[in-house]
Amino acid sequence: MIEARGLYSYYGKSPVLQNLTFDLNKGELLSVLGRNGVGKTTLMRSFMGLTDRLEGSLSFGGEEIAALRTADRAKLGIGYIPQGREIIPRFTVRENIVMGTWARRDGRRDMPDFVFELFPILKDFLDRRGGDLSGGQQQQLAIARALAMDPQMLILDEPTEGIQPNIVSQIHDVIVRLNREFGLTIVLVEQNVPFARRVSDRFIVMDKGRIVISGTGADLTDELAEKHLTF
Amino acid sequence: METFINQLFAGASLASILLMVALGLAIIYGAMGVINLAHGEFVMLGAYVTWALQTFLGIGLLPALPIVFLAIAAVGWGVERAVVSRLYRRPLDTILATWGIGIVLQQLVRIGIGPESRFIAGPGILSGNTGFGGVVLSNYRIFVLVFAIAIFAATWALMAKTEFGRKLRAVIQNREISECYGIRAEKVYAMTFAYGAGLAGLAGALISPLVNTTPSMGTYLVVDAFLVVVVGGVGSIFGTAVASGIVGETTAFFSMLLNDTVGRIAVLVAIILFIRFRPSGLFPQIVRR
Repeated sequence: MIEARGLYSYYGKSPVLQNLTFDLNKGELLSVLGRNGVGKTTLMRSFMGLTDRLEGSLSFGGEEIAALRTADRAKLGIGYIPQGREIIPRFTVRENIVMGTWARRDGRRDMPDFVFELFPILKDFLDRRGGDLSGGQQQQLAIARALAMDPQMLILDEPTEGIQPNIVSQIHDVIVRLNREFGLTIVLVEQNVPFARRVSDRFIVMDKGRIVISGTGADLTDELAEKHLTF
Repeated sequence: METFINQLFAGASLASILLMVALGLAIIYGAMGVINLAHGEFVMLGAYVTWALQTFLGIGLLPALPIVFLAIAAVGWGVERAVVSRLYRRPLDTILATWGIGIVLQQLVRIGIGPESRFIAGPGILSGNTGFGGVVLSNYRIFVLVFAIAIFAATWALMAKTEFGRKLRAVIQNREISECYGIRAEKVYAMTFAYGAGLAGLAGALISPLVNTTPSMGTYLVVDAFLVVVVGGVGSIFGTAVASGIVGETTAFFSMLLNDTVGRIAVLVAIILFIRFRPSGLFPQIVRR
C-alpha cells in the first residue's frame, strides 16, 4: 500500500527527513517510534504533502503521490488524524464529521453509522461545537471525521497524547478493531511501546530524521526501546 | 415628524449603499485577511460596465445587474489568481498590491473612457416617488434598500447554509486540515474574492444613477465601507449589516443637525471613540481553541 524509496522531506532548505525507505502492505499496521523531535510528525505530514517539498519516491496504492496536492492525496483515501486533533472548533460535531466526506470521491455526504457504534458519545453531542468537547472527545471526533471519508488508510499521530486514561484504552481498542475487523491499513505514531508491540505488524524507529531500526512487531524488544526511546 | 422620517429614510438609503460595498470587503477581509484597497475600483468598474451596457447595447440597469455581477466577479477572480494568491503569506504586501491595482484600474478607465462624469439612467419602472402624507420616498432608493437587504440575506445563506460556505469557514479556521479533507483552499479563496468583487460591482451598478460616475468614484466609498467593516467587527457579516445601518443613520442625522462637512467630522470622531473602547468592533469573533 505504501512504498517509500529514498524519501527526503524539506522545510525550506533543511532536509528534515533523510533517505527513508520502508514498505507497508494493505491491511497492516505500522508503528512509528522515536523520541521527541526526531521527525515522526514530519513523516506523517509528508504523507499528506504538508511539508515544503518531497524528494525521492513515495507511492500509495501503486500511485506516485510525492508531487500530488494535499487535497488530491486525501481523495485517494488517506485519512489524517493529526497530533492535537485539529477539529474545527466553531463547527458542530455533525459538521466536523461531514467535513470528512468532502474527501470522498463518490460525492456522498452522509455520516456512516458505524462511526456512532465506535463512538456512541458523539451521537449525543451532534449539535455541540467541536471546540466545546473535551480532549478525549475531540480525539474521537477526529477519528470519526477521518472514517467518514471511507479511507483506505489511516494516519494517527499520537492519538492518545494528553488524554484521560479511560479514553486511552477505548481509543486503543478502536484502533485495533479498525485494523483487524475493518481491514484498514494504519500508520500509528505511538509512545506506548507495549501497545505498539502488541498491535504492530511492522515498526520503524526514527532518530534525527532517519530510520535507525525497522522490523516486525515481535522484534520490538525492551532492549531496543531502552536504547532508542529513553532519554 | 415628516422631516424626521425623511431623514430616517435618507440614512437607510445611505446604509443600503454602504452595506453593498462593505459586504464584499468584509467577506474578503474576514475570509482571507486581505485588505482589498482595489475594492472601490471594483465598485467603479461596476458602474462603468452598467454605463457601457446601457450606452452601447441598450441594456437597462435591471437586466444589466447579473451581467455586471459576473463581469466584476471575473475581474476579481483574475486579480486574485494573478496577484493576491501569491501574497497570502505577506498580508501587508497585499495592501500595497491591491492599492496599486486600484490605481491602475482607475487610470485605465480615465485613459480609455475619459475623466468626465457619465450619465446612467435609472430603470424607468422605478422612477418617481411614493408619498405617504408629507413623506416622499424615491422609488429607486426603496428598491436599492430592498435589494441590499436581499443580497445580505443571500450572502448569509451562502455562508451558513451551503457547502461552499462551510468549506470557506473550514478553510478560515484551519487551512491545512481542510486541505487534508479534500478542499482546494486556493480555489475557495479565488471564489470568495470573486464573489466579494461581484458584490462590489453590483453596488457600483446600483448607485450609478444616484452619484456621479467618474473614475475616482470608488475612492470615497471604500473609505466609508472600511469604517463599516471595522465598526462591525472583522469577519462578521451580521456585524457589517448592523454597522452599515448605524453609520448610515448617524451620518444622515449629523448632516441634518449640523451640516454635511461638520456631520462627517462628527461621525469620524464618534467612530474613533467607539474603536478606542471596543477595538474589535460590535461583533468580535470569539473562538475557544
